Amino acid sequence: MKTEQVEKRGSAKTHEDIFEPKIIAFLCNWCSYAGADLAGTSRIQYSPIVHSVRVSCSSRVDPTYVIKALMMGADGVLIAGCHPGECHYKSGNLLTRRRFMMLKTLLETIGIEPDRLRLEWISASEANKFASVVDDFVKQIKKLGPNEMGEQ
Amino acid sequence: MSGIMYLARSSDPKVLEKAESGGAVTSLLRFLLETGKVDGVVTAKARNGNRYAGVPVLITEPEELIDSAGSLHCSIPNIPRFVKEYLDGAMKMKLAVVGKPCDIRALIELQKREQIDLDNLILIGLNCTGTISPTTAKQMFIDEFKVNPNEVIREDIDEGKLLVMLEDGTTKSLDLMKLEEKGYGRRENCRRCEINIPIFADLACGKWGTEDEEERATFIEACSDKGRLLVEEAIERGFITAERPDKKSIKKREEKDNAEKELAELWKERDFKPILDLDLSKRLEYWLNEFNKCIKCYGCRDACPICFCDHCLLEASRGFLEGGEIPPDTVFPLTRLAHVADSCVNCGQCQDACPMDLPLSKLFSLLNARLNEVFGYMPGIDVDQKQPLSAVIMEELQVEDTFLDISSINKALQSKSSKRD
Ligand code: SF4
Ligand code: SF4
Ligand code: SF4
Ligand code: FES
Repeated sequence: MKTEQVEKRGSAKTHEDIFEPKIIAFLCNWCSYAGADLAGTSRIQYSPIVHSVRVSCSSRVDPTYVIKALMMGADGVLIAGCHPGECHYKSGNLLTRRRFMMLKTLLETIGIEPDRLRLEWISASEANKFASVVDDFVKQIKKLGPNEMGEQ
Repeated sequence: MSGIMYLARSSDPKVLEKAESGGAVTSLLRFLLETGKVDGVVTAKARNGNRYAGVPVLITEPEELIDSAGSLHCSIPNIPRFVKEYLDGAMKMKLAVVGKPCDIRALIELQKREQIDLDNLILIGLNCTGTISPTTAKQMFIDEFKVNPNEVIREDIDEGKLLVMLEDGTTKSLDLMKLEEKGYGRRENCRRCEINIPIFADLACGKWGTEDEEERATFIEACSDKGRLLVEEAIERGFITAERPDKKSIKKREEKDNAEKELAELWKERDFKPILDLDLSKRLEYWLNEFNKCIKCYGCRDACPICFCDHCLLEASRGFLEGGEIPPDTVFPLTRLAHVADSCVNCGQCQDACPMDLPLSKLFSLLNARLNEVFGYMPGIDVDQKQPLSAVIMEELQVEDTFLDISSINKALQSKSSKRD
C-alpha cells in the first residue's frame, strides 16, 4: 500500500493538471455566497471544482467541520466571510479568524499542511475577488498535491 | 506582582506532628470550618488508607481534616471535575478547595465558562513539582527502591531526588532524573509542567523557602485580598502563628522554582522535538497510528476539566459521528483537540484515564504551547483574561489580515492606555 501511495503522489506531482483537487468552500450567506453568485451571473470564469456550503455566518463553521472535511479527503478548505466590521453579527468573523489561527496551528501539529486551509474576506460585490481567490487556491492546492487522508 | 508572604505554623501540636511542613494549611482549613466561613473543604484523601488511591473528598467536620493532612504524590484525584460535577460547581455552597497548580488552573478555566462560582470558593494552592501515577509508583517502589509499596507512608520530591519514608521510620531516596529515564518517576505532563507555585490561587502554600528554619514551617504567599484576610484572621484567632520570611528564604523559594522551570523546559524539548522533527507526512502517520488504538471509551473527555458540554458533539445522538464505530473516526480525538487545546491546563487527566495509553496530554500540551505563542494566552492564570477562541477585542475590527499578530495589537493597546494615564 505504501509504494502505491508514493507512486500515486509522485505521479500527481508530475501531472499537476491531471490532479483535480476536491475543495470545500464554506461561504457566508451574506457576503461571499452572494459574491460567488455574482461571479456566476457575471460569467466570470473560475475553477469549477469547488463545492460550496452556504452558512449563515462564517462563525457557523465549527472548527471540527474543517477537520472533518480534511479527514474525509478534501484537498483544501476555504472559509470566506464578510470583511472585518461588516459581519451581520458584528464579531462573528472575528471569531472565525481566531478559530482559523487555531486550526492552522492544529493542522501543522498533527501533520497536515496548514496551507490546505484558507480564510478570505469577500463581500457580495467582490465577484472578481471570489474568482481570483478560488483560482489561486486551486493552484496552491495543486502544488501541494493530494491530501494523504483521501488516499486511505 | 507578588503577594504578602508568611512563614506559618499550626498552633495545634497534633497537626504539627502529622504535617510535612508547618501544618498551616490544615489549621487554616480548620479555622474556616469552625467559624462557618465555608460549608466544606475539598481536598484529597487516601481511600481506606491506600496512598495509591487518593480521591477527592468533601470534608465538613473539622475533626476529619487531620486524615487529609500530608501530600499524596502517587494519586491523581480530579479535584476540579469533582467540584463541578458533584458539588454543583459550588453554586450553592461556600467551599475551600485545596489543589495543585493544575487543579487551580482548571477551576479558573471553569469559572470563565460559568461552570462554577468562584465567589464561593477559597482557592488554596499547593506548590507542586509533580505526581506519579499509582501503577508506576508501585512498580518503581518494588523494582528500584526494593521496598514494599504498602509500607510507604510518605513520599517527597526535592532537589532532584525522590524520597520515600517507610513505616519503620527508614527513608530511601533515588535520583529522579535517572528513574525517569528508565520510564519511572513522575507523570509525563508533570515533567513538562513549569508552574510550580500557584500564585493565581488565593493562597500559594509550600515548603520551599522553609529549609533553614529550625522548626518546620509552611511558606504562604497570600495572592489575593481574600487570601490575605484569611491568614490574618487565622493568626488573630490563634489557629496559626506566622512571621515574615527573610530575604534569604524568599530567594531560596525562587531558586527552587527556577530550577524546576528549567528542568521542565528540558523535558518539553525532549518530548516535543522528536515529533516536530518529523516531516508532515510522518507526523500524520505517527498520530494516526496512535488514534487507531482508541476504543472510544470517552474516558479522556469525561476526565478533562475543560470538556464541560452537556451535549457533547462526540455523542452519537448529535449525528456528527457514527455510533458504535471502533476505532472511531479520526475526527473523534481531533474534535476534542480543536475544542480544548487553547485552554488545556496540562493536568494529564486525559492521559491517565486512557486505557489504551494514547499520548493525549503530549498532543494537547504540545498544541497548547504553540497556541500560547499565537494568542499570547496562558490558560488558568487570570480569570479576567477570556479564552482566545471565544473572546475578541474591538481593535480587531480594524485589521484586515486573516492571521492576527496578537502581540503587536496588545502592544499598541498598552501604549495607548499608558498614554491615557
Ligand atoms: S486535555 Fe488533558 S491535560 Fe489538557 S486539560 Fe484536558 S485532561 Fe487536562
Ligand atoms: S469534545 Fe468538544 S463538545 Fe465534547 S465535551 Fe469536549 S469541548 Fe464539549
Ligand atoms: S480515553 Fe483513550 S481510548 Fe478512551 S476515548 Fe479517549 S483516547 Fe479513546
Ligand atoms: S455574517 Fe458574514 S461573516 Fe458573519
